[in-house]
Amino acid sequence: MRIGFAPFALLLLAASPAGAQSNSFDMSTEKPATPAPAAPAPGAPAPVAPVPAAPTPAAATPTLAPNPAPVQQQASPAANEPIAAPEAAAQARRYIVPFSDLVFSGEYAQRSWSVFLTPEQAASKTEFHLGYQNAVVVAPEASRLKVSINGSSVVDAPIASSDNPSDMVVDVPANVLHAGLNDIVMSAVQRHRTDCTIESTYELWTQIETGSTFLSFDDADAGRWKRIEDVRAVGVDENGSTTFNLIVPSMGQTISTSPTVRLGEGLALMANMPNQSFNVSESGSPSNKPGTATIVLGPASELSNVLATVPAGAEAGPIATLVDDPKFGPSTLVVSGPNWQAINMAIDDIAKQVDRPATSLRATLATRTWRTPDVPMLLTASNLKFSELGVSTLEFAGRRVRTDFAVGVPSDFYAEAYGQATILLDAAYTQDVLPGSHIDVYVNDNIAATVPITTFGGEILRHLPIKVTMRHFKPGANTVAIEAVLMTQADATCAPGATAQSGQRFVVFDSSEFVMPSFARIARTPNLAAISGTGFPYSRAEYAIPLIMDRTQPEIISAAVTFMARISVAAGRLIPVDSSTAAAAVGNRNAVFVSAISQVPSAVLAQVGISNQTSSAWGETVASIQPNTEATFDQWREKLRGGGWRGQVSSLQDWMNRTFNLSTNSFRIFPGRAPDFTPQGTARLVIAQEASPISGGTWTLVTAPTVGALRDGVRALTDQTMWRKMGGRITTVDAGENKVSTLPVARFDFFETQPFSLANYRLIVANWLSANALSYAVILILLSIVLGFATAGLLGSLGRKK
Amino acid sequence: MRKFLMVVQWAVASACVLTMVTLPISLETQLVAGMLVLFGMMVLKLIRPDGIWRLVALAFGTAIVMRYVYWRTTSTLPPFNQLENFIPGFLLYLAELYSVMMLALSLFVVALPLAPRPSRANSNDRLPTVDVFIPTYNEDADLLANTMAAAKGMDYPADRVNVWLLDDGGTVQKRNADKIGDANNAQRRYEQLQKLSADLGVKYLTRDRNEHAKAGNLNNGLAQSTGELIAVFDADHAPARDFLKETVGYFDEDPRLFLVQTPHFFLNPDPVERNLRTFENMPSENEMFYGIIQRGLDKWNAAFFCGSAAVLRRAALVETKGFSGVSITEDCETAIELHARGWHSVYVDKPLIAGLQPATFASFIGQRSRWAQGMMQILRFRFPPFKRGLSIPQRLCYMSSTLFWLFPFPRTIFLVAPLFYLFFDLQIFTASGGEFMAYTLTYMIVNLMMQNYLYGAFRWPWVSELYEYVQTVHLLPAVISVILNPRKPTFKVTAKDESITTSRLSEIGRPFFVIFGVLLVGVAMTVYKVYAEPFKADVTLVVGGWNLINLIMAGCALGVVSERGERSATRRVKVSRRCDFELNGRSLQGTIENVSANGARVLVFGADLDELSKDAEAGIRFKLFADGSEAVLPVTIRNFERTTDSIAIGCLYMPTEAVHHRLVADLIFANSKQWEQFQLSRRGNPGLLRGTFWFLRLAIFQTSRGLLYFWRDLRGASAPLPAGQLAEKRT
Repeated sequence: MRIGFAPFALLLLAASPAGAQSNSFDMSTEKPATPAPAAPAPGAPAPVAPVPAAPTPAAATPTLAPNPAPVQQQASPAANEPIAAPEAAAQARRYIVPFSDLVFSGEYAQRSWSVFLTPEQAASKTEFHLGYQNAVVVAPEASRLKVSINGSSVVDAPIASSDNPSDMVVDVPANVLHAGLNDIVMSAVQRHRTDCTIESTYELWTQIETGSTFLSFDDADAGRWKRIEDVRAVGVDENGSTTFNLIVPSMGQTISTSPTVRLGEGLALMANMPNQSFNVSESGSPSNKPGTATIVLGPASELSNVLATVPAGAEAGPIATLVDDPKFGPSTLVVSGPNWQAINMAIDDIAKQVDRPATSLRATLATRTWRTPDVPMLLTASNLKFSELGVSTLEFAGRRVRTDFAVGVPSDFYAEAYGQATILLDAAYTQDVLPGSHIDVYVNDNIAATVPITTFGGEILRHLPIKVTMRHFKPGANTVAIEAVLMTQADATCAPGATAQSGQRFVVFDSSEFVMPSFARIARTPNLAAISGTGFPYSRAEYAIPLIMDRTQPEIISAAVTFMARISVAAGRLIPVDSSTAAAAVGNRNAVFVSAISQVPSAVLAQVGISNQTSSAWGETVASIQPNTEATFDQWREKLRGGGWRGQVSSLQDWMNRTFNLSTNSFRIFPGRAPDFTPQGTARLVIAQEASPISGGTWTLVTAPTVGALRDGVRALTDQTMWRKMGGRITTVDAGENKVSTLPVARFDFFETQPFSLANYRLIVANWLSANALSYAVILILLSIVLGFATAGLLGSLGRKK
Repeated sequence: MRKFLMVVQWAVASACVLTMVTLPISLETQLVAGMLVLFGMMVLKLIRPDGIWRLVALAFGTAIVMRYVYWRTTSTLPPFNQLENFIPGFLLYLAELYSVMMLALSLFVVALPLAPRPSRANSNDRLPTVDVFIPTYNEDADLLANTMAAAKGMDYPADRVNVWLLDDGGTVQKRNADKIGDANNAQRRYEQLQKLSADLGVKYLTRDRNEHAKAGNLNNGLAQSTGELIAVFDADHAPARDFLKETVGYFDEDPRLFLVQTPHFFLNPDPVERNLRTFENMPSENEMFYGIIQRGLDKWNAAFFCGSAAVLRRAALVETKGFSGVSITEDCETAIELHARGWHSVYVDKPLIAGLQPATFASFIGQRSRWAQGMMQILRFRFPPFKRGLSIPQRLCYMSSTLFWLFPFPRTIFLVAPLFYLFFDLQIFTASGGEFMAYTLTYMIVNLMMQNYLYGAFRWPWVSELYEYVQTVHLLPAVISVILNPRKPTFKVTAKDESITTSRLSEIGRPFFVIFGVLLVGVAMTVYKVYAEPFKADVTLVVGGWNLINLIMAGCALGVVSERGERSATRRVKVSRRCDFELNGRSLQGTIENVSANGARVLVFGADLDELSKDAEAGIRFKLFADGSEAVLPVTIRNFERTTDSIAIGCLYMPTEAVHHRLVADLIFANSKQWEQFQLSRRGNPGLLRGTFWFLRLAIFQTSRGLLYFWRDLRGASAPLPAGQLAEKRT
């Protein structure tokens, strides 16, 4: 094509921001919806509740034992309970929402996950309790909340609970529940009472009250575990968390640490709940509520200090059994034996049910307890139909619809700078849909593609290719959401009742496909996202990972077990640890350091790039939150933006940034070492990673100003949503609002993970050069110069010379 | 061995660049790399535009072009299941690939053109016997007389050169035509030319039947003559005095040499130049071919015969039984044949003949149709890439020369493609505004810069596009018809001696106004869409911009088909030559200022106005370049005017004897230096930016002129002249 565009380059530059603006990706309006329901009156009785409701969680937690049946002492405190107590006491309760909060926002939203039930629970007569509250603007006549269990509808009710949280109780039909994993699907269709705009859809929300949404089993036996596997039914508490109380009487002994960690990993893998934490203590305290498991670990001789009766046989050989203990309640797991060797065998028995060899490839990531189906792991080029990804054909009558699925990528995924996945979209829209509507694709909530609808009169899209940048892909599960924003003439006029009209406008078919091209695979260090995603590099270790910590502090052991258990869940296998190695003896092995900042050897601090002064200064300044000059400046600049030609220039700048993602980093040729990091005053926890001094290993440091902060910080970090935000070379967790922030990787080492292949190396080079644009340009220019000279030489020796 | 090493070295370097180019890098990296490479090219252009750095700059450009092709291939084609988008999208893709392929071929051809060869006029070469052929069909006796006189006037021993007039207009077949009028004309022509030839000392030759057109005519001449070498001049191509001296020497240097080709220099502008008024200051269209491409072909021993202004070796022609006549471009075809048999060719970059080219747009198109159709026939019957005996560089060179004439297809597609989007909303090029900027825009600028690098001084920016566009409209059907019926086209002689006396629209100019109108609606559609559909304004602007460029080109073409009326029938050549003006028996000092084939303008000193009168008879006495003798050329005075210190007299030649034609030829054609100077005066590279602005101004002016002519034409203010006999068909 020899025609040129030079003359109107200026035209193009000037006008394109305007074009791009129409595809508004501004997500800011979405945010206000979620905090809104955070302040419902805590104790207000729900007027619509047809049965005496369970006491509100706040009141129930300290004393109410849901499984009190065999415990004699419980009888007298129970008398102090509110009137509901006798009936409630007979029941076993199982909270089912594995999230700290669950909000359905927009016109259509759906969540699905699975709940593990013991055979006794499945057999029991069961009631399903649902508590929720919704925004005032949700029109009850056009909005419905649906819950189905194992495919049979349990709740299908109008959403009409804007004043107070409402509780619903329904009987779960017999034979719906079964032992093992039960699929739960909750969905909400919501319509605005008056408004037809796209913006108004962001005002729609329904919040599920996690504390009053549960299964309650009539059968008293349902509250007890009979087999070790029943640990998988541990479930969650009213906040969606799972807690393991690990009681290790000989916690201080070196020999006990590794088994403790190993047992923790095994239990975590077995329960596989999204937000699991471990409390390790020497004696423990009775804390028996849903979502909590109590485990006693130690040689038989030491158990008598903590248990009323030591299980028979513990003196003789390895044993892992469930006992009813007067202090710790029923279903207390005891792992014991005559000595630590026997205990290790007992732990191995538990572990081997959930372990897998380091070399086996995972086809899926086990996510069913918070997201169904299990997320497929894409290790190479692959094609997946939406139906395989759990997205079913969705017809839609509203304005804005969002549906999502998740795909997993391995820890050595290295295509974020150049890669593009493709969605082959099968969809259709009716003639009501006006041009200007668009279909957007989000990856991990970042806009990744947008397809404008440009034609009148409706269209069937058959395998329309949408290129999705992989810039926001991270190792592990990634959520890909497809959102259609539909504009119609009817919405523009918005006649009364228009919001509730049910004519279908848009459909996404489950025959659509997600196409992952083959992508570069090479691991990097540091890369905390790899830990978050698949526990890499610890997941691949074939030796026991040195775990260096201060064993005398229960908080630190709790933090270490919680952290290692979380990595194990990410890795899908147990990670053997060696807690007896001294910091100095680690060498070039992979290692994890868990310590309060004052205990961290300065050599380790220096290695992972944390400033040495940190150990003295951090923690003291916790209270003083200094205003951040840079952030304030940015705010002011934002405020003074827009209007006039300067506004045009800056919107052009925005367009350039959005389109090309150019940053000064693109112009480095040789990235230097980043300056040492000093944690800000508000940071409660710091995770830092760097290659070991003699390269070959990866060191990860988990540290906090105090041991208490360390335990709480790790617990906050291991929460599913927080955990997935971990990345870069340093991640900090803020005390204030549980905020995770990351420091990007400046310089890294490559670690080969795949057998050598030219195709893979080509893609690796492509990704590296895509991230280092100037290097590419320079290499291309140098090679062109070489080619020019070679051509000159060739022409000089071929053909006529004069 | 060294050659092999060089090839390996080059192959390795190419492989490295290719590997880099085909990496699937991100958009930002592409943008940065594109900008940087562009910047590098600009810097090189400013400081070292020649030698090895020219090749480096071309390598830069190649890298960007290859990146564009990679991207275009891997991520911009519409999905296959949307056939309504895919088919036009794929056609556009093919058109672009064709352009890139032609760019690659021309890069190969002109990578390192041979430097002009030194003059041989004064070397002591052996002077072999030469037969000069002047084939004619329907040209005027006056025109032929000038050519023959010029041929006779060549500086060469008279006993070693024979000039032959090969007349196909006076064949037995013609003289016995069924139409008695035609037969009489042929008979009259036969007698007239026989006499003229005899007067000038030229051998007249005709034949029985007009078989195989020009090739047959030349072969007839071959059969009747015996000279070692053959020089061929078209009827209107008069050679300079030094033509043979400059060319024959090469044949002794290389016994396998079959051809020495020299450029065609034209005294008159082609219709594009005439109507756009660029003849005096912009290099002519064919200068790119003769100034660069033939030199590039010469590097690869692939300079080919262009039908005239060349010397050939009889021994070589005997091998192929004369000139080939399968296609209607017998010249190029003969050259392929001989190259394939291992003969060599040489190109001498020095204008040694001066000729005429078609004056009207219609005959210009007729000439180009013949070339295009002939090249298609060669492609069809001799397919150069697989022609046995040709070297690989020769195959590539002939591919470049023949495939070039497929340009009407991509041109048409580029013209229509944006309309698919603007009118029918088809998405035939799937890319975002950002990608357009990073890939397409960079590619286009690089492409223009590479053209400028390759042809800068010989072809100004956008002029190639204009020439291709104005030919496309009529060449497309011609090329399609020859593809469908490769044996159908027949040789048509291009008329070159027409003149246009009144300003009018070309009789084949209507389609250009229709196209212009459609594109104009496209622009209106762009504006409408930007406001009505703001959500895709970026793509609309990109496509609309493309359409706008097409519109500018189409507007400029309106000027091309609006033929300007001209006073003088033939082009005047500037000369500056002392003479004596003989008037009423007095001899006045004077200078011949310019000359044409019909007359001259003389500045006379010391004359009085009242001595002069219109139609008065006079004579110009001057010294001949040929032999230094003096002679008088009789003229009549047509007009006169006073200048500051002299009187300028315009006069018309009144040749009565053969010797007078020699005088005219000596005046116009003797000195080839002046042609070179004229060419050099037009050469100069305005640069991409200045050239673009110049073109834009030209286009705007020509659009308005074209519309004015169109409006006048609609009003019927000036009835167009009858189309006339523009091209006569030979049987």
